[in-house]
Amino acid sequence: MQVFSVPKSIKQNSNFTFCSGCDHGVAIKLVAQTIDELNLQDETIAIASSGCSVLLYDFLDVDCLEAPHGRACAVATGVKRAHKAMGNNKFVFTYQGDGDFASIGLAESMHSALRGENITAICINNTNYGMTGGQLGPTTALGQITTTSPKGRNIEYHGFPIKTAEQIALCDGVSYSARVALYDIKNIINAKNSIKKAFEYQKKGLGFSFVEILSSCPTNWKLSPKKSHEKIKNELTNIYPLGVFKDINND
Amino acid sequence: MSYIKIDKNKCKSCYLCMDVCPKKIIQKSNELGKTGEYIVEFKDEKNECLGCAQCAIVCPEIAITEVHKNE
Amino acid sequence: MNKELLKGNIAIAKAALNCGCNCYFGYPITPQTEIGEYLSKQMPANKLAYVCAESEIAAINMALGAASTGAKVMTSSSSCAVSLMQEAISYASSDELPIVIVNVMRAGPGQGYIFPSQGDYNQATIGGGNGDYKTIVLSPSSVQECIDLTYRAFYLAQKYRTPVILLADGLLGQMAEAAELTENPYPEIDNSNWRLDGAKNRPSREIHSLEPDQNKLNRHIVKLYQKYSAIEQNECDYEEYKTQDAEVIITAFGTMARYAKALCNHYRNKGVKIGLFRPKTLYPFPYKRLNELSQKAKIVIDIEMNMGQMLKDVRLAVLSNAQVAFIGKPVGDWLREEEMINAANNILKERYASI
Repeated sequence: MQVFSVPKSIKQNSNFTFCSGCDHGVAIKLVAQTIDELNLQDETIAIASSGCSVLLYDFLDVDCLEAPHGRACAVATGVKRAHKAMGNNKFVFTYQGDGDFASIGLAESMHSALRGENITAICINNTNYGMTGGQLGPTTALGQITTTSPKGRNIEYHGFPIKTAEQIALCDGVSYSARVALYDIKNIINAKNSIKKAFEYQKKGLGFSFVEILSSCPTNWKLSPKKSHEKIKNELTNIYPLGVFKDINND
Repeated sequence: MSYIKIDKNKCKSCYLCMDVCPKKIIQKSNELGKTGEYIVEFKDEKNECLGCAQCAIVCPEIAITEVHKNE
Repeated sequence: MNKELLKGNIAIAKAALNCGCNCYFGYPITPQTEIGEYLSKQMPANKLAYVCAESEIAAINMALGAASTGAKVMTSSSSCAVSLMQEAISYASSDELPIVIVNVMRAGPGQGYIFPSQGDYNQATIGGGNGDYKTIVLSPSSVQECIDLTYRAFYLAQKYRTPVILLADGLLGQMAEAAELTENPYPEIDNSNWRLDGAKNRPSREIHSLEPDQNKLNRHIVKLYQKYSAIEQNECDYEEYKTQDAEVIITAFGTMARYAKALCNHYRNKGVKIGLFRPKTLYPFPYKRLNELSQKAKIVIDIEMNMGQMLKDVRLAVLSNAQVAFIGKPVGDWLREEEMINAANNILKERYASI
């Protein structure tokens, strides 16, 4: 019996353009599997953003629209509301990095969450601006060395990082906010369940659903893929604890 | 007999599959991949593969395209 | 005829609804706020999309998203806040998405103030965003034209799949005059071959401006410019007033053209062969017709409520056919008739002793 195959929602002959060992590929695979399982492929409009996540439309076999840097949630709002105005209920999600979602786009992200836009946002948090070569971002941990914090992030110069999933959970319009990781099998399966729940909540019309995925960036962290996963497990999850910070069905 | 299929063109030699395989039957091959490193190969001479699909779950490239599990 | 007393801003909002606008996203700014206020009553009542956005940046990006679905989308704002929208207008131009952007101009630079102004001619026609793109710019001069050109803006946006700017000014937005809410004269444009509505029984579609392949990006921009060529060929629109025998041509757009018309009448009474040329499309600018007119003219006087922005297009059209002069005042207590006459007398007195 075949127990694994390439998800139907992954474009045939597409090759991920990510660095070796980057968790983006795992995250997109989980998103595609969830689209397949919930039978959403022909009603989905995915919103791509700027950064390493930008080429989403090269990988996912669904209708896809690119948003300007940081504006994915605003663009998704427009897509969702326009279809609703025309009598359609389409499935709309954004796929963004932490810089896109929580720095340049924080206003759009937060206000979409506050309004309770019935969309889902997936945020890949790899604690730096990956595509431009690993600069300090909103999620860079205190002490973390990046190309623009060569002596490590310090409070005096760079201020504090943002705990995105916790912040989003505080917004009244949010149905679900969770932080997951991909450093081992158990966490990958857990991440998949979170994505599925977030997608299902949108299908049920419960409001803004959000999954922050702690992800590796082996190239810019200058660690092997395996060591990157160890860093997430041993260091980052202490700063960014995994868990569900809001679930409208449990609250 | 359980087995996996690897798309050699997709492998980027991160070796996460080798690490997670409980039977250690995914190994470095002698073939260089697009990152300039040796890509992995599935070498199951003793029919040890469990069909657990952990390798496919962790593979960031979906280079492990099929996992077949013997009932 | 069924005329009613209408304010420019309300006329724009009514016309938008009348031609099927089903999505509006906006953020308040004087002097255009009545557009959003009016639509906030009408649109939710009809289950249409209406969002009080958190910023103009969000509003234009919501518009970009909505436009990708094939909806009829409008946002409205004013000058300094339209500056915030430039990034997404550049994206929408590359993405080939139809969005109607209403700019009811106020004074700048920066915050300026809420006085009427025509200081955004350059921003609208040249483009305030990055890269090789152009936006169609329509310039109403009356409340009736606020209606007519709103219809046209939606039509051209859909026809050419491109953002269209309706460039009014605070004077027009805030003033009321009799106008008729006519029926939308334009046909619907089929968008079923490009809109994003889920890949049902068809291959998936993607809309993006990013293109890492330089050959493809080159081809894309050349394709955009072929479209702009077609727009320049087909869509130039202008009004002429007493230009038949004109030796003196006044060029003006928007509300200033109304004052310019009065100026024409003033000098016609004094025996000066003078006429008005008013572009209704600022992009595409009607270079060809103005060039033709200028061949028979001695002087072209450009009048604007700014420091001379359309002036460069006028010069490009007139070339060396005639002398080009400029009368302008940037903001606020705009040019009154007597101010214009004083300025025009100085230009015309050498040639016309009668004035």
